[in-house]
Amino acid sequence: MRDRKTMILKTQIAFLIAVTSLAPAKVDFAHEVLPILKENCAKCHTNGKYKGGLSLDTRETLLDSETVEPGDSQNSLFIQVLTAQDEDERMPHDADPLPTDSIATLAKWVNEGLAWEKGFTFKKKTWKAPLGHQKVDLPGPEGGNPIDRIAAVYFQKNRVQPPASISDARFLRRVSLDLVGLLPLQSELEKFVTSDLGEKREAKIKQILSRDLDYADHWMTFWNDLLRNDYAGTGFIDGGRRQITGWLYLSLKENKPYDQFVRELLNPTAESEGFIKGIKWRGNVNASQVPEIQFAQNVSQIFFGENMKCASCHDSFINDWKLEDAYGMAAIIAGKPLEMYRCDKPTGEKMDAKFLFHELGPIDKTSSRDDRLKRVAELATTEGNGRLARTIVNRLWARLMGRGLVEPVDMMSNRPWSEDMLDYLAWDFAKNGYNLKRTLSIIVSSRTYQSATVIASKSGEGFVFEGPSAKRMTAEQFIDAVWGITKTAPGKIDAKVERKSEKARVVRASLVKSTLLMRALGRPNREQVVTTRPADLTTLQALELNNGREFVNYLNRGATKLVDEKERVETLYLEALSRLPSSLEKQVAREILGARVTPESAADFLWAILMLPEFQFIN
Amino acid sequence: MSKPLEFKNRRDFLKKLGTASAATLAMGAPRSFGDEIEQPEAKADCCILLWMGGGMAAPDTFDPKHYEPFRKGLKVSDVGSTFPAIPTSVSGINFTEGFEEVAKVMDRGTLIRSAVQPDLGHILHSRHQYHWHTGYVPPQTVAAPHIGAWMAKVLGQRNEAMPAFIDIGQRLEGVGEKEELKAFHTGGFFGSEFGPFLLPYPDQAIGAVQPPKGMTPSRFANRYKLYKKLISEGLVGKSGSEFQQESMLQSMEKAHRLLNSREAAAFDLTKENEKSAGKYGKTRFGQGCLLARRLVESGARFIEVTTEYQPFKHWDTHEKGHTTLKRLKSEIDQPIAQLIRDLEERGMLDRTLVVIASEFSRDMMIEGVPGSNARDQTTHKVDVISELKHYGQHRHFTGGTSVLMFGGGVKKGFQYGKTANERPFVAVENPLAVEDLHATIFQAMGISPKTSFDIEGRPFYATKDGIGKPAMEIFS
Repeated sequence: MRDRKTMILKTQIAFLIAVTSLAPAKVDFAHEVLPILKENCAKCHTNGKYKGGLSLDTRETLLDSETVEPGDSQNSLFIQVLTAQDEDERMPHDADPLPTDSIATLAKWVNEGLAWEKGFTFKKKTWKAPLGHQKVDLPGPEGGNPIDRIAAVYFQKNRVQPPASISDARFLRRVSLDLVGLLPLQSELEKFVTSDLGEKREAKIKQILSRDLDYADHWMTFWNDLLRNDYAGTGFIDGGRRQITGWLYLSLKENKPYDQFVRELLNPTAESEGFIKGIKWRGNVNASQVPEIQFAQNVSQIFFGENMKCASCHDSFINDWKLEDAYGMAAIIAGKPLEMYRCDKPTGEKMDAKFLFHELGPIDKTSSRDDRLKRVAELATTEGNGRLARTIVNRLWARLMGRGLVEPVDMMSNRPWSEDMLDYLAWDFAKNGYNLKRTLSIIVSSRTYQSATVIASKSGEGFVFEGPSAKRMTAEQFIDAVWGITKTAPGKIDAKVERKSEKARVVRASLVKSTLLMRALGRPNREQVVTTRPADLTTLQALELNNGREFVNYLNRGATKLVDEKERVETLYLEALSRLPSSLEKQVAREILGARVTPESAADFLWAILMLPEFQFIN
Repeated sequence: MSKPLEFKNRRDFLKKLGTASAATLAMGAPRSFGDEIEQPEAKADCCILLWMGGGMAAPDTFDPKHYEPFRKGLKVSDVGSTFPAIPTSVSGINFTEGFEEVAKVMDRGTLIRSAVQPDLGHILHSRHQYHWHTGYVPPQTVAAPHIGAWMAKVLGQRNEAMPAFIDIGQRLEGVGEKEELKAFHTGGFFGSEFGPFLLPYPDQAIGAVQPPKGMTPSRFANRYKLYKKLISEGLVGKSGSEFQQESMLQSMEKAHRLLNSREAAAFDLTKENEKSAGKYGKTRFGQGCLLARRLVESGARFIEVTTEYQPFKHWDTHEKGHTTLKRLKSEIDQPIAQLIRDLEERGMLDRTLVVIASEFSRDMMIEGVPGSNARDQTTHKVDVISELKHYGQHRHFTGGTSVLMFGGGVKKGFQYGKTANERPFVAVENPLAVEDLHATIFQAMGISPKTSFDIEGRPFYATKDGIGKPAMEIFS
């Protein structure tokens, strides 16, 4: 009787395998196999628990167990035990036998060679990112910049020679581009370099950060990328998207405390509601891309450095987030329990509102949508949520130093190269009113920032910090610089923002609609959240800079002005590179300009300077 | 003209790419779950997509149905096609009137009559075009690359002096829905290196690869020479990231190589002798086809030539469908046929895949597919035709679309799939979804539909979730 049952079961499975193998599609590990393993096997055979010596942590450990014969499920113990009649033998133990289609899937998976998601392991990371703030005792000597104090210990421990310091001129170029996105003026440079005031760098930093409008102009680029705000783009055509431009600009201009800034985005006013509204396309949209899920993904990524994109469709296999975490976040804005969809198919289960770090506190599921948004704004910025501060200080560090303390900047569960540095900066930021400018100031005041750029000798997991790295100018920085040098900025901005004495203010690239040149240089279509832009100049970009109409036009207009300039070589070097040319460079410059300077030769000289890597990189 | 550079195999290509731009590899080489995927053997080296943006109505082009000539009092429901059927060089395959020239070359190609698109509810050209061009329905969590960018990324350039992905005829500024068009005319997560080289006006294409207007070639060359001299005297190597700087200089070098190359002449339509140029006609699309032929000869990898999508223009007929198509067909019939003949004459058709496609079809009656909740978008909702402007395919139809292919190993004089003879004209045999159509195109090009890249830790596939299945029957 028993045998007959087994026979029938086996025949059924054989049939299922036969049927499914008619379809040439291979079993998909992530979407088909992994859910079965997770639900039925993981409890006893993964992540430290290896009953019977079987570890399913990775493909390798599974192969090592010798229970699987890739390509031959019939001779694989791993499959045989699933259909064993003896309950003591049958897997999973103390549970119903697996449904036949699940067994067939696993058998097919074995027959097809045991494909595995590269890099996937059931084993949990040994290091876990803390959620709360961590107290850091600053190492000695008192009074120095905290970053330098932590870095000194770090360098010593990692046997790194601290990077060399940089000149005043180089410092000014870097700090000016980093904080307000502009090259220093020639007069400013001269005054700064020749000043013999003590603490002049500190004073300069303070003065630059006090230029509220320049600061807001510059950081619009960063925040527009991050919050996917723009002045034109998909979605606006039919009201499926709303700008937050006015609110954002004002917030930057006022240096709005970051916790308040986040609260106003999550629990918005009419001016800032565009952010949580997301981008709505007419027609049917995949369940993992409806505006509610966009909210879950974007809030998790932007403010907390967590990737919820996988978990929007199925339990993630690259991090610990589950489908219910994504839907818990989505249900906050939905205003009602949301039915969960796995891979665009309804599961029949409903999910109530839940904050992604639910240990910080519950969200009353009976409360109104407005109350939930208020609550999520509270939870996001509550004292116990150190992740909010860590994520933003890490982004700021990455912008200024060329690489984050944690990389990628959107995977904040990764270990920073210095926990002390991240924890200290985050704590200081939260303790001092979430003041973005304060953190920027601490970073650029450090000797660590004011050092020569280096090329990291180790990247990836074994990364060791040896000093700041060079950054390529953003499209906006480049174009602002070109407009400044050639005096070709357009007449008006497209962004609807309040800039006092508008007429006197120079137009900034961050405030106009994207152009072909800007797109070519890496300004993104802001349909998705963008947190890092590509660092390399590509061939198509190089073409655009060689003969693109827009750029050539700037050069030609700038050249006519350059012809009249007396000390044109020195002036251009000072304006563009914040230094004087060497005698050899002067010689080549004269060669380009010719005996009698013409608009053509001046344009060529201008082009050559603007194409120098030294110009296009902030180092 | 120098010989297009073919890489012996992918490793050889990667090596070349590695020396050219190591950074482009940083994103990760193609990979799949578990075992390495096997790339199919390429049947074609390059691909030309002739894009009928706006929704090319199958019943009025390549899939004739019951024809009723225009007359007042005609019931809309009685009309299948507004053009009579004409024979082609393949018995059993008919086109509609106005495609007499393409009909003559049908014996060189395969006609797919069963392409289908998903029901996305309210029909937007922008969403379906994004889907067709990237394989993914927007919105997406990451910027999906255009299929041309996939080819540029996976297969690389055929000729180092020629951009891999060239887009002819579509303006991205000054036209309706331009933001929506920009969203998929992109290298996406592959980066701008793999994005389209845009040539909206074929007769001005040469400008894109010439020194700027008003600059003589000698001045241009001199400027670059002195620039390099300036760099050697400057701070390169003394500060900053050598790697980044080097990669920047390499890109400059590649750009200059194109600008100074003999290949640049391929962009110049005035270099084509008058007689052969004349065969393509004077329209922008015709000139685009001619340009595509010249660029393929010079080593481009993927070229899209479009009749240009503009809302409510050309194929996007919400009214006056018949008269609009009459004009449009007269503009494209001759150049399409000529392109095929020219490629064949040059012995290039076998290794060039030409695809004529559109985001969906059109119908006189049905919006979307039968039973869809899509809102009817025709301008004149009449049951009985009283004016010529009512006569035409004015609804967007996603249930059965024609795709015509030539070269690249596809069968000659072959039909794949079919639609019902009576309305609804849905695909009743071998329905081919977008991912399967892409898999078929990729198959010809030697790219597995499961080719994937690691994007933010997730695999992202050449066809949606790697599920695309090529229609192998169409290959000889």
